[in-house]
Amino acid sequence: MKVLEATGIRKRFGGVVALSNGNLACNAGRITGLLGANGSGKSTISKIIAGVYHADAGQIRYNDRVVRYRTPNEARQNGIAMVFQNLSLVPDLTVWQNIVLGGEQSRGPFLNDARAKETAREILDKLMPGLDLSRMLSELSPGEMQIVEIAKAIAARPKLLILDEPTAALEKAQVKSLFKFLRGLVRKKVAVVFTSHRLWEVMEICDEVTIFRNGENVAQIDFKKDGKDPERIVGDITGETRTRARRRARGRRRGRTLLSVRNLSYGGTLKEVSFDLRRGEILGVGGLSGQGQHELMLALAGAYPGSTCAAEMDGRKIRLNRPATAIRSGMLLVPGDRQLEGLFLKHSLFTNIIFPKLGLARQPLFTPRARSREECARAIEVLSIRVPNLETPVRTLSGGNQQKVVVGKWLSFDASVLLLADPAKGVDVGAKRDLYEFILRQVREKKTSVVLYASDNEELIQYCDRLMIMYEGQVVATLEGADITDDAIVATSMRVR
Amino acid sequence: MNVRGTLRASAAYSFYDRFKKLIVALLLIVFLFVLGQAVVSNFLSLGQVLLTIKLASFIALFGLCQMIVIAGGGSGLDLSVGYAATMTAVITAAIMDGKNENLWMAILVALGIGLVVGICNGALAAYVKLPPLVVTLAMSSILQGTINVYTAGRNITGRPSPVLQIIAAKSIGIFPNILFVLLILAPIVMILLSRTRWGLKLFGAGTNETAAYLSGVNVRRVRFVSFLISGVLASLIGLLLLGNMGIAFKDMGSNYVMPSIAAAVVGGVSLTGGDGNYLGVILGAIFLQTLTNLLVALGWGDAGKWLGFGIVLFILLIVYVSNRRSR
Amino acid sequence: MQAPGTAVRGAARRFFSKPEFSTLIILVIMFAITAVLQQNFFETRSIVRNINAFTPLILVTMGQAVVILAGGIDLSAGSALSLFTCVLTTVMRKADPWSGAYALAAAFAVAMAVGIINGIGIGYLRIPPVIVTFATSFMWLGAALFLRPTPGGETVEWFKAFYNVGAIEGVSATLKRFNDVIPPALLLVVIGCLFWAVVSKTRTGRYIYAVGSSNDSAYESGIDTARVQLKACLVNSTFILLAALFFVGQNQSGDARMGDPLTLRAIAAAVVGGIALTGGRGSVYFALVGALILSFVNKIIFFANISSAYQTLVGGAIVIFAIAASQAYTLSNRRAMRAEGRLK
Repeated sequence: MKVLEATGIRKRFGGVVALSNGNLACNAGRITGLLGANGSGKSTISKIIAGVYHADAGQIRYNDRVVRYRTPNEARQNGIAMVFQNLSLVPDLTVWQNIVLGGEQSRGPFLNDARAKETAREILDKLMPGLDLSRMLSELSPGEMQIVEIAKAIAARPKLLILDEPTAALEKAQVKSLFKFLRGLVRKKVAVVFTSHRLWEVMEICDEVTIFRNGENVAQIDFKKDGKDPERIVGDITGETRTRARRRARGRRRGRTLLSVRNLSYGGTLKEVSFDLRRGEILGVGGLSGQGQHELMLALAGAYPGSTCAAEMDGRKIRLNRPATAIRSGMLLVPGDRQLEGLFLKHSLFTNIIFPKLGLARQPLFTPRARSREECARAIEVLSIRVPNLETPVRTLSGGNQQKVVVGKWLSFDASVLLLADPAKGVDVGAKRDLYEFILRQVREKKTSVVLYASDNEELIQYCDRLMIMYEGQVVATLEGADITDDAIVATSMRVR
Repeated sequence: MNVRGTLRASAAYSFYDRFKKLIVALLLIVFLFVLGQAVVSNFLSLGQVLLTIKLASFIALFGLCQMIVIAGGGSGLDLSVGYAATMTAVITAAIMDGKNENLWMAILVALGIGLVVGICNGALAAYVKLPPLVVTLAMSSILQGTINVYTAGRNITGRPSPVLQIIAAKSIGIFPNILFVLLILAPIVMILLSRTRWGLKLFGAGTNETAAYLSGVNVRRVRFVSFLISGVLASLIGLLLLGNMGIAFKDMGSNYVMPSIAAAVVGGVSLTGGDGNYLGVILGAIFLQTLTNLLVALGWGDAGKWLGFGIVLFILLIVYVSNRRSR
Repeated sequence: MQAPGTAVRGAARRFFSKPEFSTLIILVIMFAITAVLQQNFFETRSIVRNINAFTPLILVTMGQAVVILAGGIDLSAGSALSLFTCVLTTVMRKADPWSGAYALAAAFAVAMAVGIINGIGIGYLRIPPVIVTFATSFMWLGAALFLRPTPGGETVEWFKAFYNVGAIEGVSATLKRFNDVIPPALLLVVIGCLFWAVVSKTRTGRYIYAVGSSNDSAYESGIDTARVQLKACLVNSTFILLAALFFVGQNQSGDARMGDPLTLRAIAAAVVGGIALTGGRGSVYFALVGALILSFVNKIIFFANISSAYQTLVGGAIVIFAIAASQAYTLSNRRAMRAEGRLK
């Protein structure tokens, strides 16, 4: 039974056309996957259905009636709930207050807190038992917050549940829990829309898949009828037939030890992490999410004044307690969360790219504009960033291009060590490929060493020479060469081996 | 697109974008003058215009302090500029005593006062991370209290040195000298802010604190310095105020604080930080002063003046700053 | 399930790590110092006098706290207070007892208008609250000057009840005795607290915290954030109105400038009381405590025979001290939690 049918949806934001011809159909009791590159329109159509945006044109039929919801609240009251990527949770309220936020039950004018706690307990027991309801949201880990976000959508008792990248912050155990929950949900004839970049997750949980590209849907695959062919799906997403990138030959000659880190510790998050990094090597950091990998990258970048360690670069002692000193020692961080950590969204491409140079000593007091502009223009050419001119504010660029700007900032530096903190997170397949090609080129040409943290195991398998697995702030295993397999990663991450 | 093409396109884009807000501000001022002329003859005379600019100059000068502090982000504001200026005026008036010989000492004292105020504000706001609104507010209380204690039972004596009076109060022909001060100051400020490393660090810290930090900027030090500059500037402005008024009195500077913030906002400075154009602030100050003059000229008395001021400012804010959610 | 002992210890640790704890400590210290310095501190008459002196700041602070919690700030509070006193004393005619009722109605209407205009600016138009309430403060000032170019005006006899029932001619002796023990000012504060107690248990009360904590998240949750902020401004106006009633009861006149010093003091008091200027955190009752702290400080200066010229100076220093203390507390706790990995 068709719960929702969206036809001919058009939407533009300013000068950017997000959707030119969006179509989507969802059926009760089935999980529909939405796949597509960043900027393909899949997030936009979800948000239009959920009432967050208004479509410029097109029609949405919900339960056989044409509807046009003006606010998310209206949509939610009618049974359409969406779980956002940017959490819609309030940090200064408790878990249960957040779960019922916007849909509180009341006795007369007063809120019915008892009922609210009951509702929250009911849902959380199925999703994440053991979570204390009265904890402040700001105290939770990112994975826990994502679960609360999902619980909040469930509390609205939706008939259509839209999940936008729900597993990004979750550990494998939490993902399993979630999938079990979703299967239970669809047995009750709820329709689910599941958006994700993680292909195998989509193939695991979804019954059918709609693929978006460049603002319109280009393919629909029913897994039962058409089978699961990842190559074909990737082809539909990128619009070109791709041969899967061959695994680089291992056993590349690696140079001498460039960086040695001993006993890196920070509060309770990092415990005595030690490793060596050789010249021209790509060292991966993996494991379940939230085990300290991101913090390790930040600590190496000097972002934690309170961290302690003994580190040497090229035999010289270096201190990693301030970003400025880390940068001067040749450690450059490409942050994962570009919006929060990497970019000045309001400012132009130009300002963003030349910004790191400002920290260097022995730079002139006045920035030489002409030379900087040329450098900048050359940088964006190297990275194939599509942009009309240098003064474009960065916030108007797509996610993939933004990430390229983050990388491009450091182009004119000669980094000894590139610290990549999940550089391809939320980036579409094409841009991801460009990004990694550039990185590999650096490694080959300049013998730059790389520490790579990726939340996607595929990236780790494909690019790393060695891989450190982290668990609770410690390195528990190091895999080398041919031993780096998905199986091994998962096993060591979960302390099975 | 090739390198050269991109560079050419960039130049065109930035010109329009940068001057859009300034042109609007200028048009508004012209509009007010025309309106004034329709109501009161002689409103739009050269003499009146110059007088307005002269009065607005002090708001514009204090507006510079605000712009620097606001641009650094972290909800930066400096509410202590008024009393910092007042304190400088009160103390240096006695030092100078109407002569030029002690002008240098007065300037040194002013720098000293400004540094102390700036260091306190900066340390508390940038390093201890207290909200700047409250810190500078409390600082202004402390300064006011100190002035009260200093002047308790004592008459404020002293007059500014004639040099100061010439700069601040007098004119060459019909052009007020303070205008020249502004004309010299403005381009210096703009170059310092947009072309030097420190200026870009300031705007970076204001736009995205984390990104700036991770790029190696010492955000706290940058903000500390911005408060330092604001304090020193405010003190120096105090000297000019003294020169303008001829004497020092207890509430000299306090009426300039809020208008200086309003001038910054009208001039396009975002209150969250990260951008700011001093030319816009100057135009904003002129606009506010013109508005006040217009309301006085309409003869509505105090009540009408303030009511009109508030309503016009409110309307302007709606047009300029309001941020209605787009869906 | 946690053992009860652990649960209690956890709750205790959470309480001590809150900034409210240090606020209470400071209150106790200030209270003690004042009690020591003022010889007749514990006499009924001076307790009443203290309550009367503290009440206006307490009320304005509580209103300000609500606005700040919702993510705004109100720099027009003082002018609004002045405006309300002018409205009251202009509508009332000494000879006509009913004019008092009309005055109350008129002042209430004006208070709602003030709240609506501020609320539209902050909530619907999303103009930064600092600057929009700066603009509206001039509007209230102008209106107040229009009504009362110079301080003055009339009140009816029974209006004195808001300050001192005993001052009204011909009132019964029992009422007078009641009044001596429980001053009307205290009742006004209690009414204010009850008012907030009711509001905080409603949807609006919860949403005020949500909107102040994260406007975008609240909006995405389907909350009408603009309306919530408008309601917060209306609550603020109500508190200011209560303070105006007290002032007019006390002075029987309206003055367009009398409220000016209260605005910034109320903001300082709210901050001292633990209200976070960024919104969403803090308790209105603790803001009340903040107002008490600042008021005791003034008393201390007075009774320690420090020249009143020092009042502003010490006042400013105390504010810095208090917020620095509570900030240091919060920072050290957040750092501890972050290192433990429980805070991002």
